[in-house]
Amino acid sequence: MFVLIPLFPLVGAAVNGLLGVRFFSRRAVGATAVGAAGLGFAAAVASFAGLLRAADPVSVRTLFTWIPASLVRTASGGLASLRFDMAFRYDSLAAVMTLVVTGVGLLIHIYSLGYMAHDKSYARFFSYLNLFTAAMLVLVLGANLGIMFIGWEGVGLCSYLLIGFWFSKDSAANAGRKAFITNRVGDFGFLLGTGLLVYALGTLDIGGIAAAVEAGTLAKGTATAAALLLFLGATGKSAQIPLYTWLPDAMEGPTPVSALIHAATMVTAGVYMVARLHTLFSFSGTALTVVALTGAFTAVTAATMGLVQTDIKRVLAYSTISQIGFMFIGLGVGAYAAGIFHLMTHAFFKSLLFLAAGSVIHALSGEQDMRRMGGLRTRIPRTYRAFLVGALAISGIPGLSGFFSKDEILGAAFASGNYLVWSLGLAGAAMTAFYMFRLICLTFEGEARFTGGASGHVHESPPAMLVPLEILAVLAIAGGYVGLPRLLGGGAWFGRFLEPSVGRHELHLPVGTEVLLMALAAGVAVAGIVAARAIYVRRKGEPARRFAARFPALYGLVSKKYYVDEAYEKIFVGGVLALGRIADWVDRRVVDGFVDGVARALRGISSGAMAFDEGVVDGAVDGVGKAHLAVSSGLRRLQTGRIYNYALAVVLGVVLVITIAVTVF
Amino acid sequence: MITLAVFVFFAVLALAAAVLVVVQKNAMHSVLYLAFAVLSTSGLFFTLGAEYLGAIQILVYAGGIVVLYIFVIVIVNLTEIVPERRPLLAKIVLVAVPVGTGIEVAYLFLAKGFPVEARPGGGPGFRALAETLFGSYLLPFELASVLLLAVLVGAIVVARKKNLHDPD
Amino acid sequence: MIPIEAVVVLGLLLFAIGFVGVVVRKNLVVMLMSLELLLNGANVILVGLGRHWGSPRGAILALFVIIMAVSEAAVGFALVLAYFRQKKSYDVDALDDLKG
Repeated sequence: MFVLIPLFPLVGAAVNGLLGVRFFSRRAVGATAVGAAGLGFAAAVASFAGLLRAADPVSVRTLFTWIPASLVRTASGGLASLRFDMAFRYDSLAAVMTLVVTGVGLLIHIYSLGYMAHDKSYARFFSYLNLFTAAMLVLVLGANLGIMFIGWEGVGLCSYLLIGFWFSKDSAANAGRKAFITNRVGDFGFLLGTGLLVYALGTLDIGGIAAAVEAGTLAKGTATAAALLLFLGATGKSAQIPLYTWLPDAMEGPTPVSALIHAATMVTAGVYMVARLHTLFSFSGTALTVVALTGAFTAVTAATMGLVQTDIKRVLAYSTISQIGFMFIGLGVGAYAAGIFHLMTHAFFKSLLFLAAGSVIHALSGEQDMRRMGGLRTRIPRTYRAFLVGALAISGIPGLSGFFSKDEILGAAFASGNYLVWSLGLAGAAMTAFYMFRLICLTFEGEARFTGGASGHVHESPPAMLVPLEILAVLAIAGGYVGLPRLLGGGAWFGRFLEPSVGRHELHLPVGTEVLLMALAAGVAVAGIVAARAIYVRRKGEPARRFAARFPALYGLVSKKYYVDEAYEKIFVGGVLALGRIADWVDRRVVDGFVDGVARALRGISSGAMAFDEGVVDGAVDGVGKAHLAVSSGLRRLQTGRIYNYALAVVLGVVLVITIAVTVF
Repeated sequence: MITLAVFVFFAVLALAAAVLVVVQKNAMHSVLYLAFAVLSTSGLFFTLGAEYLGAIQILVYAGGIVVLYIFVIVIVNLTEIVPERRPLLAKIVLVAVPVGTGIEVAYLFLAKGFPVEARPGGGPGFRALAETLFGSYLLPFELASVLLLAVLVGAIVVARKKNLHDPD
Repeated sequence: MIPIEAVVVLGLLLFAIGFVGVVVRKNLVVMLMSLELLLNGANVILVGLGRHWGSPRGAILALFVIIMAVSEAAVGFALVLAYFRQKKSYDVDALDDLKG
C-alpha cells in the first residue's frame, strides 16, 4: 500500500507534463494536479492507519532487483553481496514524513490554484510541483541509500526547475543554477559517504547498516568519516553552514514553491537523512557533535542576518535556515525524535508564513519590500490573522506547536550537558521572536507606506488561497499537542511513536530545571516580541536606524550576509575560472606550441629535402652537363681549323702506330 | 764507289735545297730552291739506277711544276710577304716533332736492320719497267690518264672567275 | 753500292723537312711547295726499295706518285686562286672556317 504513495503524484506530473501543457484547460490541469496530490495524501493516511494496526513496526517491500548481487570484499576482509534493490521501507518515521509531505503538499497545491491563476505556464508549474512531491516521497520511503539518493537528486532537480520557473528573468535563472550547483557539492559528500559505507560494510540497505553498526563491524573512524561526509550532503540540501547560500536566492521562485520546497519538505531532507541513519551517527560521537555545533552556529548566524533583511521572503528564508539549525541541534544531542518533531511543526508554521506572505504580496500586486508596506492589518485582516498565528508559533509562545518542539530541543541540549549549544539555541530563539515581529510590525502595523500602483488594489486573496492558509493556522496551533511532554500532562506520544525508528531518548532532568527552562524559553520569546513592537511600532524604527548609523561597519557586515557569497564567488568560482585560464594557456602554449613545433620541424625537413633535391640531385645532373660542356669546350680547342695542326696530328698518329708495330712485332 | 760519292753529293744538295725552300721568306726564292731540290732528286734517281724516272723527274717536276709555280706567283702578284707570325713554342714543336720523328724512325731502321734482304737483279731497268708498267699496271696507267684529264677540267673550273650563271 | 739504309734515311729526312715546311709556313704557296718536297722524299724511298728488291715496281710507283703530285699541284693552285678571291689573303691561318 505505501508503495503507492509516490505513484499518484508521479502520474499526475506525467499527465500534466506531457498532455496538460498542450491540451488541458486550466481547470483540467488544476484538477489533475490537486487530484494526484489528494490521492497521495489519502494513500499516506491509509498506510498510517495500516501501520497503527500492524504488529510489525517496519515493513519493507521490494519491487525488483536492479543490480543483482555482486560480491564485494569489505574492509574487514569478508565477502558481502552488494545488491541494489528497488525497495521501499515504511515505519513510523516514514509515516510522519509522508503525512507531512502529502498533507502540506496538498494544501499548497490548492493554494497554488489561486496564486498561479494568471501565470502563462500553469500546466508546467503543476507538473513540476507533482514531480517534486513524487521525488520527495521516494526519498523518504527509500529502503537503501541508493533509492534515497534517487529521491535526493530528484528533489534537487525539481528545486532547480521551480526556482528558475520564470527563467526569462536573469536573477531567477542564476538562482536556480546556484541552488543546483551548491547542492551538487553536498551530493558529492553524500556519494563519498555512501561509497565509504559500501566499502566498509558491503551494503546500502538502511536496516543492514544499522545492524552492522550495532554488531560492531564498523570501525569508529570509518563511521565518523562516513557520517561527516553524509552530513555534508545534508548541509547542502538543508541549507546549513557552509552550503546555505543558495536558499535566500531561491526566493526568486514563486511563493508556493518557497513554501513547499524551502520550508516544509526538501530542506528537511537532510534532517530526515540524519534521523534515518541515527545508529551510525550515534555510534560516532564526533559526527554527532559536529552536527549539533553546525546546527547551533547556523541557527544564530542566520537569525542575525534575518534581522536586517528588507524583503519579506528573505526574512522567512533566513528564518528557515535558522530553524533547520534548531532541528540539527536536536539531532546532534541525540534527541532524534525532538528534531523530527520540530520538523513537523516547522512545516506547519513556516509554510503558513510563506503562504501568508504570498497573500500579502498578491494583495499589493507584487510588492515584496517591507519598507514599502505597513498598515495592512485593517485592509487584509484574514491574512493578518493567519500570519500572526504563524509568527507566534515560530517564536515559541506557549500553547502553540512551536513552543513544544523548540522547548524539547532546548531541554535535550541542556540535559546533554552541551551548554554552548543550549545557549546559542536560546539566543537564536530570542532573535527569532524579534525578527518575526519586526516583520509583522513593518508589514501590518503603522502607517501605510506603499505606493500608488499597489494602494489602489489592496484586496484579500481568493478563497483558494485563504482556506489552506487557515487550515495551516489550525495545524500550527494544534499540531504540537501530539508531542505534549509528560510534564504538562501529555504522554509524549510523538516520541513514543517514533521510537522504533529513531530510538529512545530519555530526558533526565529534575522537574524544576525543566520548568525553569520552559519559562526561560518563553520569556526570551516574549521579550523579543515586546522589543520589536516597541522599536518598530511605537518609535517607527528610529532606534534601529540610530543603531545602524552608530555601528555602520557592523550593520554593513550583517546586511551583506557577512560577505560569504562574495567569498565563495572569489574562491570557488574564481578558482575554477583560473583553472580554466591555466588550461587554456597550456593548450595554447604547450599543446599548440608542440603542434606548431612539429609543423615547423616538418617544414624544415621538407625544405631540407628540397635543398637536397635541388643542390645534390640537380647539382649532379647539372654537373654532368656542366662537366660535359667544360670538357667539350676544352676539346673544341683542338679544332683549330688550321690545316697544319691536323696534318701534324695525322703524322703523329701514323708514327705512333708504326713505332708500336715495329717494336712489338 | 763513284756511285756512292755522287749519291752523297746529290743527297747533300737535295737536303740543303729542301731546307732552304722551307726557310725562305720570299716565295720566289723558295721556288728557286725547289728547282734545285728537284734536280738533285733527279740525280739521285740516276745514281739509283732509275734512269727513266730521273728523266721524268726533270721533265715533269722541274719543267712542269716548278714552272707552274713561277707562273702562279707572277700571276697572283705574290709580292706580299705573309708575316710568319707564330708563337715560338709552336714553331719549336712543329719543327721538332717531324724531325724527331724522322730520326726516330731512321734509328729504328738502322738498329733493327732492314727487314728485307736484298734481291739481286739489278736496278729497275728501263725494259723491265716498261714491261711491268704496261703489263701488270696497265689499269692504273689508264686511270692515271683519266685522272689527268679530270684534273685538267677541274682546275679550270675551280679557278674560273665566278660567272653570273654559275650555281655555286 | 749504295746502302739501302742511307737511301731510306735520306728519304725520311726529305719527308721530314717537307713536312715541317707544310706545318710551319703560313704562306699557302710555300706550303704547297713543301708538299712537293715531301712527295719527293717518298719517291726516293720508293726507288731505293725498288732497286733493293731488283724490281721495277718501285720506279712505277714513283711514277704514279709524280702523276699524283702534278694533279694535286694543279688543282691546289686552282683552289688557292679561288680562296684568295674570297679571303683576300694567302695566310693559311685565315683558313679556319672549320674552327670550333
